[in-house]
Amino acid sequence: MKKTVKKAVGVLLAIVMLAGMLAGCGGSGKESGQAAEAGSGTPKSNVTLTFGSHQSGLPTSGIVHDMAREFEAETGIKIDFQISPDAQWRDLIKVKLDSGEAPDIICVDTPIDLASGTKMDRYCVELGDQEWVSRMDDSARSAVSADGKLYGITFPGAKMYFYLYNKEIFAAQGLEVPTNYEEFKVVCQKLQDAGITPIYEATTNGWHQVLPLFETGGLWLAQDPDIYNKLNNNEIDLDQIPALLTIIRQLDECAKAGYYGTDYLSNAWEGAKEAMATGRCAMTIGELGFRGDVEKDYPEFTKDKLGAFVMPWGDNQMIGVNPASNAYFINKESKHVEEAKQFFAFLARHENLQKLQDGWLDISDLCWAEITSKYSEEDQKFIDSLAKANVVQTSVNYIDSQWMDVGKDLESMYTGASTPEDVLAAIMKRRNEQAQLQKDPAWVK
Amino acid sequence: MGEITHRRAGMGERDMNRKKLYPWYFASGAAVLFFLLCFLPGILGIAYSFTDWNQFSDEINFVGLGNYKRIFAGGSDYLTYIGNTVMFTVVTTAMKTVAGFALALLLTQKFIKCKNLHRMIIFSPQVMSYLVVGLVFKSMLHPTTGFLNNFLRDIGLGVLAKNWLTDLQLVFPTVMTVDTWKGMGYIMVVTIAGLMSVSPEYYEAASIDGAGFFQKLWNITIPLLKPVLVNVTVLNITYGLRVFDMIYSLTNGGPGNATAVMNTAVYKEFSKGDLAMGTTLSSVLFLFVLTILYFIIKSMENSEVEA
Repeated sequence: MKKTVKKAVGVLLAIVMLAGMLAGCGGSGKESGQAAEAGSGTPKSNVTLTFGSHQSGLPTSGIVHDMAREFEAETGIKIDFQISPDAQWRDLIKVKLDSGEAPDIICVDTPIDLASGTKMDRYCVELGDQEWVSRMDDSARSAVSADGKLYGITFPGAKMYFYLYNKEIFAAQGLEVPTNYEEFKVVCQKLQDAGITPIYEATTNGWHQVLPLFETGGLWLAQDPDIYNKLNNNEIDLDQIPALLTIIRQLDECAKAGYYGTDYLSNAWEGAKEAMATGRCAMTIGELGFRGDVEKDYPEFTKDKLGAFVMPWGDNQMIGVNPASNAYFINKESKHVEEAKQFFAFLARHENLQKLQDGWLDISDLCWAEITSKYSEEDQKFIDSLAKANVVQTSVNYIDSQWMDVGKDLESMYTGASTPEDVLAAIMKRRNEQAQLQKDPAWVK
Repeated sequence: MGEITHRRAGMGERDMNRKKLYPWYFASGAAVLFFLLCFLPGILGIAYSFTDWNQFSDEINFVGLGNYKRIFAGGSDYLTYIGNTVMFTVVTTAMKTVAGFALALLLTQKFIKCKNLHRMIIFSPQVMSYLVVGLVFKSMLHPTTGFLNNFLRDIGLGVLAKNWLTDLQLVFPTVMTVDTWKGMGYIMVVTIAGLMSVSPEYYEAASIDGAGFFQKLWNITIPLLKPVLVNVTVLNITYGLRVFDMIYSLTNGGPGNATAVMNTAVYKEFSKGDLAMGTTLSSVLFLFVLTILYFIIKSMENSEVEA
């Protein structure tokens, strides 16, 4: 009896397996049928483009996904998004590019002409001949160009990171916007005493905690207007910039004082909206567009509830401007370069740019002059009133390439495993190692 | 029998070769494949570790032991990674073997009902991908929103709710526990197979002599399972030294570099473009695994002789 049952189960399993195999064959048959059909009408409509990006490379509102769906409806070309965690993307894409396994379209941070940037000019298709190139802003064009050749398309306008604060909480606690580090600490202490986590920090993404170090380039330039060149020429090193170590120490001080709360080492940037909208945390570093993003998820928490001030680390009062943002590139090894170009041209259509700007909630401005920015008059006035300085990572070599490592160094410092001096030493060591490795003429003589 | 042995011992090498069943060239296909696919890349990898091979230049220069010096120079992070890897290996091997063995003993006892169901449930994590397990546990162990801490708080044990993956004291034990949870099922299954092959007569005889459970375990089960346990240890050690996915998905080597191991460092070096350093670290790992395996296999041969 038992044997018969076993036999029956065996036969049943064999049938299921056979059916599965046949279904698989059937599926591919159908696909090829579709391909044949497509061949007669719109050509190559069965192509699927792979689009590799990190979480922050694509807007959380999903507008790029929406545009991809519209593109598919129009051309039949599918876009398959492959999203990786922020903390892992840079390493992953470099390994993939080197091993020839990168997706068709790749999203990476710019500028690409820094010696330490991802070598997109080596791996990607040149796009200088595309119609849309001339419509992109100059700064954006240079961010995606290397040796005078353009390789990518980018949309977000200049990036500026502020401390965004909950105006209601500040009013209720009788707090003023801080303009230097001492005032900032006082604000944090008062918020903490009131039972509110002063700052939302998220270290698991790897990048957010690093912003205070390099978005405060104004302090570096105040020390010496030619400092970026001197660093690139290896005439001075980072330990000769007192502001950097000061800021690392201040970050440590705030972490130890509990101003980030208790769980910040497990927090992800994706949780920032909830933390701010619910009033659990009172401040966080973000772009002005972040307010729109919060409002979308928490409609009662309208944009005007969040104010902005310049990061007061190291008594900084200049807003760091990052002319570059992440950009999309086409893999040279891709079998579908033409289709990918078609997708870029689709995104660059005037009406689609407008859709992108409207739907891309966390940015306020595109680097396309034909689209008017979303900044309100008040925002614009606020931005115009600020002194500006270029951020470090787009100007100094071997900083952006180790961004995530610095994130880890800071994490390590927060856990007590290292000191601020160790963090600085690690940054300098990696910078030197990278320069040596790339045989930078300023290092290898 | 004695005569045959005598004749064999008296045979010359040529005679012996002639008497072999298959000529050597039957194995040449496999040998060529082994040479091309396994041996050569391994040797090339080691050769590259003596160069400054990197993705930024097409030139490759010989740098001697430079890369090895960088690893073993005092104060380098690499030594921490090596230490972490060894600790991970030793602890997970011990934990998995003990847990797997205990479960195997339990699930071969007569009083347990639905043994196969239990075995299947305990084995099931083994078939899951490391990345999936890592990501699931990452969310379960989140200090504020994770299942574990919420559960502890709900049952009134809020004091035990910890920052499992960010507290320096807890992160490594946590990662190793998750890894043990995933791997012990496999060890259990292998050990059960070993236990089934132990003849019940030994136990009966021991019972008649009045031996208790632990006496039987110590004097019958463990000695007879020795080859199985050695195999299991080999598997655990080689896995532990090569661990990557579990660490990568759970902590990405963090907080800071607290849980970074050899293979996360190799990955990091490759992504930095320092390919030579990546191969150097791999070579160190390779030599390490090889040495340990040599001794384990030697001891296995001995135990087989004894058995």
